[in-house]
Amino acid sequence: MKTDAMSRLLTPGRLIVRTGLALVVLAAVMLACSMIGSEKVSLKAVFGGPGARATANPDYEIFVRFRLPRIVLACLVGAALACSGVVFQALLRNPLADPYILGISSGAGLGAIIAVISGLSWTLWGRSPIAVFAFAGALGTVWLVWFIGRLTGKFHVTGLLLAGVVVNAFFSAVIMFLTSIAKADQVHATIFWLMGNMAEEDFLVLWIGAGCVVGGIAALFYISPQLNALSFGPEVARSVGVDTARVRVLAFGIAAGITAIAVSLSGLIGFVGLVVPHGVRLVWGPDHRQLLPLSAVVGAIFLVLADTLARIIVAPAQLPVGVVTALVGGPFFLVLLIRYSRKVSWLR
Amino acid sequence: MNRWCWLLLVISCWTVSGFVLSGRGHIPNNGDPAVPHQTIRVVSMAPNLTEILFALGLDEEIVGVTSFSDYPPAAREKDKVGTFWQPNIEAVVATRPTVVITLGFAQQKNLAERLARIGYKSLTVNIETTNDLFEAIVRIGAATGKQHEADEVVNGIRTKLEKLSALIEATEKVRVLWVVQREPLRVAGRDTFMNEMIEMAGGENAMGPTVYKYPPVGAEQVIACRPDVIIEPAMGQEDLSAQQSSVFQHWSRFRNVPAVANGRVYVIPGETVSRLGPRLYEGTETIARCLRPHLFEN
Repeated sequence: MKTDAMSRLLTPGRLIVRTGLALVVLAAVMLACSMIGSEKVSLKAVFGGPGARATANPDYEIFVRFRLPRIVLACLVGAALACSGVVFQALLRNPLADPYILGISSGAGLGAIIAVISGLSWTLWGRSPIAVFAFAGALGTVWLVWFIGRLTGKFHVTGLLLAGVVVNAFFSAVIMFLTSIAKADQVHATIFWLMGNMAEEDFLVLWIGAGCVVGGIAALFYISPQLNALSFGPEVARSVGVDTARVRVLAFGIAAGITAIAVSLSGLIGFVGLVVPHGVRLVWGPDHRQLLPLSAVVGAIFLVLADTLARIIVAPAQLPVGVVTALVGGPFFLVLLIRYSRKVSWLR
Repeated sequence: MNRWCWLLLVISCWTVSGFVLSGRGHIPNNGDPAVPHQTIRVVSMAPNLTEILFALGLDEEIVGVTSFSDYPPAAREKDKVGTFWQPNIEAVVATRPTVVITLGFAQQKNLAERLARIGYKSLTVNIETTNDLFEAIVRIGAATGKQHEADEVVNGIRTKLEKLSALIEATEKVRVLWVVQREPLRVAGRDTFMNEMIEMAGGENAMGPTVYKYPPVGAEQVIACRPDVIIEPAMGQEDLSAQQSSVFQHWSRFRNVPAVANGRVYVIPGETVSRLGPRLYEGTETIARCLRPHLFEN
């Protein structure tokens, strides 16, 4: 089966080198972006430590308490959304698929607006009710869509997609209804959330979020060979010995899980999950063993850059990061599409 | 299946270690004023809060204001810390505030919580009615060591308002339609501070009780509520003159409404009437002048 071209395409050594290089670029981007912001921060002052209370060190405080957590958060969310986009595109065999295609966004949005309107004010491990409700809404919606999809036949891709579209539209309508009866300040709070809102997070939240996202990506990497087979269609996959039902449930569940985590951390950030997988596929090829890790790193780089722009374009105010991802990602993706489209067969 | 177990094990260990680390590395929260601050450094997170701070004589102590804080003119010179809806927490911290004053809106409360987490003091005040305003001025005065000035400001406003109500006493109430936005038409409902100002100015909201604070209304309701006066506040000089020049043409389709028939549609500067702050009296007087011009002729 293995042709020369295939083996030239990806060896373990190449995979490690490419991923390693991408990680180095990510680290460089993170460092550079942590030096950029509406307030000037000097690294020298940062290493001076927090300082005594009376003459606290503002550089340290801004860098360690706000900027670094926010950049780490952008990394996690970018990686999670990009990987989840890869998986949905493979499972649904649809180039338009992104992490939100099966209703996660509207489910999470509905959860968030319910939390805002009900005016709850507790916290769960440092997470606000908005985040908790958004997480629950996202997972609940995915389960609902999956369940409806199953009713339409044993993994019928069209049935699943249609169920996703309809549930999405229905929940969006409920969101619009709720915003129209909510108070003005509540509406504003929700709108910023719906456009993707990044803020610094507690250490514990980032730590656990990182564990889940990286773990989820590792798990997806485990099944990437099966995803390769699945992207040729279920019949082909079965013929090469892939347990398609199991792989689908696993991939679907993990991708939905890390998307829900990303959404509960930072609201709805569009475009990352659509553009990054395609970009990586166009440049480095469609093999999922490589596509997954590289998309994770490129997604992280992309969102860190976008968030940095969101922080500085209209300083001292800030833009919702979702605005920047769409504005920057769109044209960038078109350039990639034109330059590299000949490499990928389904675009020809 | 083995590698899946390993993965689960690693994730669980990672999570547990997170709890352990975050429990240990907790920096003691320094909400206590152990170190007495010689100087007060205060940041305002809303234009009307900025006005209150200036009214209390804190000109020097204000170290940061939001982007749209434009009154008094000195506010424009202050460092900007983002907008009301999108505050920039880095900029807030960079001003080294001893107290940050925020409003009770969700976005602002969120900012106050984030600041509290790293040990910055903030004061959240709700300003939705005129009574809230007086209370807020007193609380802000207490938090910034300006109790005396706060009482003076509050009493000053109250006295002037009483004089105004004495001037317009015993005359019949004027029905006012308060237009917040022309297209699509939205007006101020009863549950707003505009409503209070209208009543203090001797008027009455032509709009009855509504579900919304600022209800969107149709042409039918405009005609049905029969306002004697229509008031349109406009923000900024450009909007003001643009709206003034088009006002009669815009309202001409409501020729049956008394306000339009008698040419009593007023476009007024919005700064004092759309922002609940220490210029409450000035705003109320502007409205009173629209309702009863003859009282103010001399």
